Amino acid sequence: MYRLDKGRFDEFIRLLGREYRTYAPVRTAGRTGFAIVDSAGMIDTDVLVTDMSPKEIFFPPSETLFRYGRNGIKTDEVPERPIAVWGIRSCDVRSLSMLDRVFGSAVQMPEDDRFKDPYWNHRYGSSLLFGSACIDPSPTCFCNWFGGGPFNKDGMDVFTVDAGEYYLLEPVSGKGQEFIGGLACLAPAGESELDLVSAIAAEAASRMPEEEDLKEAGRKLSDIFDEPVWSELSAKCVNCGACTFCCPTCHCFDIQDESQGSEGRRVRIWDSCMFPIFTREASGHNPRALSKERVRQRIMHKYSYSLENYGEFLCTGCGRCVLVCPVNLDIRDVLRRLLHYRAEGKCNG
Amino acid sequence: MDNSYVPIRMRVEKIAVEDPERNLRTYDLAFEDEDAGKRFNYLPGQFCEMSILGKGESPFGIASSPSEGDLLKFTVNRAGSVTGEIHYLREGDAVGIRGPLGNWYPVEKLKGMNVLIIGGGFAFTTLRSLLVYLLGSRGDYGDINVIYGARNPDLFIYKNEIEEWRTREDMELHLTIDSPVDGWSGMTGFVPSVTGELAPGQENTMAIVCGPPIMIKFTLPVLTELGFPDERIYTSLERRMKCGIGKCGRCNIGSRYVCIDGPVFSLAQLRNIPEAF
Ligand SMILES: Cc1cc2nc3c(=O)[nH]c(=O)nc-3n(C[C@H](O)[C@H](O)[C@H](O)COP(=O)(O)OP(=O)(O)OC[C@H]3O[C@@H](n4cnc5c(N)ncnc54)[C@H](O)[C@@H]3O)c2cc1C
Ligand code: SF4
Ligand code: SF4
Ligand code: FES
Repeated sequence: MYRLDKGRFDEFIRLLGREYRTYAPVRTAGRTGFAIVDSAGMIDTDVLVTDMSPKEIFFPPSETLFRYGRNGIKTDEVPERPIAVWGIRSCDVRSLSMLDRVFGSAVQMPEDDRFKDPYWNHRYGSSLLFGSACIDPSPTCFCNWFGGGPFNKDGMDVFTVDAGEYYLLEPVSGKGQEFIGGLACLAPAGESELDLVSAIAAEAASRMPEEEDLKEAGRKLSDIFDEPVWSELSAKCVNCGACTFCCPTCHCFDIQDESQGSEGRRVRIWDSCMFPIFTREASGHNPRALSKERVRQRIMHKYSYSLENYGEFLCTGCGRCVLVCPVNLDIRDVLRRLLHYRAEGKCNG
Repeated sequence: MDNSYVPIRMRVEKIAVEDPERNLRTYDLAFEDEDAGKRFNYLPGQFCEMSILGKGESPFGIASSPSEGDLLKFTVNRAGSVTGEIHYLREGDAVGIRGPLGNWYPVEKLKGMNVLIIGGGFAFTTLRSLLVYLLGSRGDYGDINVIYGARNPDLFIYKNEIEEWRTREDMELHLTIDSPVDGWSGMTGFVPSVTGELAPGQENTMAIVCGPPIMIKFTLPVLTELGFPDERIYTSLERRMKCGIGKCGRCNIGSRYVCIDGPVFSLAQLRNIPEAF
């Protein structure tokens, strides 16, 4: 453990910036999200769960795959400096590991490079993540349903705790140790500081909601795939897609060409399984024409299919979709009702 | 590392118009870069994303067989924006492909077995690939029996080859059209009922079915009735696609992505997937 006095935080961020493109939570026009910072003053150190998730650092809403023109196809130069992220929450760090299974690796055919996404890999592969402990979890946080927690360090390079006057920094990975090991602005932490962290951690843990038992979720959801409960649950959804765009693990995208004359670029753009055209075929046939089918797809993908394909849920319990939904469709309620559906014999409420 | 999003450059070598309405065209494409051609190893049933820069991409089954040589064959039905643009291509033009994508028909398992190929409409593309592949090492397989249906005689693709297949002694070809037409010497009726009428034996036989969704849907139960076990019925599915490599989240049926886990599935697999049909 190291101690970083807040008086030297700016120095630290500037040091980090020499080697890394440093992203941190910022507030712009009242909305929070991650952006490149070059001084500590730019950082919003109070925000817990940012409105927009940090997935956009590694998987931007719109990204050039390549440019084309008279001279053929050219991919963009890869920026030299790798990415560092300060102030990323435990749930969001885990979302990146989840996305890494989809983009970064080739789970289906491990020997096959075709299934590795070069755009994701060049960003995520060399990144340095300074995770931030959640001292004051929000009522919409439910990361503990998925094995997470406000002090969970999975996937971080350095774990940080805001202890008031100073930050405590704990290296988690070798890469993290290497970076913070020799920094002059850090001092070794003492006994009393460690005690303080334990106290804060216990306090934070006590604020988490009751855990839901999800051991059987994958199988259970497949079992009730054809039950009428889905129509009922999805009735109020307006298919706006807000839940999927703010979600740190949703990864659906479209590929489009943007041309001007004979020049142009092929881009990939976030897309959403909540939109009917997402699956509509040229013939007019649409396998998920109904809202019910699309809501079911979102739930099945996150809590059943992903478990089967990647061995883990595609949800971190960050609560963003709960906060953003205009009709208050709360994914925690949806899950609870689905999981207890058989037991009740019917769905009430 | 390979970048799977960047298309391989191809040259349109030859175009054949397949029907009087000119909605179906077959393209033979040549690799501009010989090495890229050498690296492109595929099997019948796989597909490619064909790319028109500025317009986009669309997936098409590979209609050529790897046993035929270096040209790749695709048959494209004009359906919308990208396919419309493909129809404007002329011989000598450049076009991009990404692939080969997806899995393939179980050609290894077919060795020593009889093969029943059932196809409908212009979806005969990958079935042509399979048929040519099997005929290319004919000795490795038992009886080859093909049932191919189209709405009317004009809509069969690969008409020249059909003439040749018809006269071959080492395979059987049954053509059928939806309703009677003057001068038609083949069968009449939809593929599922014709399959029922012909009642091909299931013994040591693998059935491979590809066609419009409705044809597949009604043909599979006929095969089951004829005694084909689920493990010996294969079909190729279609879903709207973009990436073709299991990332964009669009083409799934249940937990399976048609672009990487398919497009070829056995009926045994499909039985366990919700919303497969
Ligand atoms: C594995 C596979 C093999 C196929 N093989 C052939 C073939 O051999 N010959 C043939 O003519 N057609 C084939 N299709 C269907 C063909 O891909 C669509 O007709 C085509 O994508 C329509 O594109 P469009 O731009 O003209 O239509 P639009 O309606 O303008 O579609 C826009 C985009 O949506 C996607 N899309 C729309 N419909 C489909 C669809 N049915 N399947 C997949 N993506 C779709 C494509 O990315 C397309 O570019 C195949 C489809 C799949 C999935
Ligand atoms: S589904 Fe909702 S709670 Fe789960 S990761 Fe996505 S936004 Fe967060
Ligand atoms: S945010 Fe709510 S209303 Fe909008 S698509 Fe998601 S669940 Fe439906
Ligand atoms: S086409 Fe993108 S996941 Fe299958």
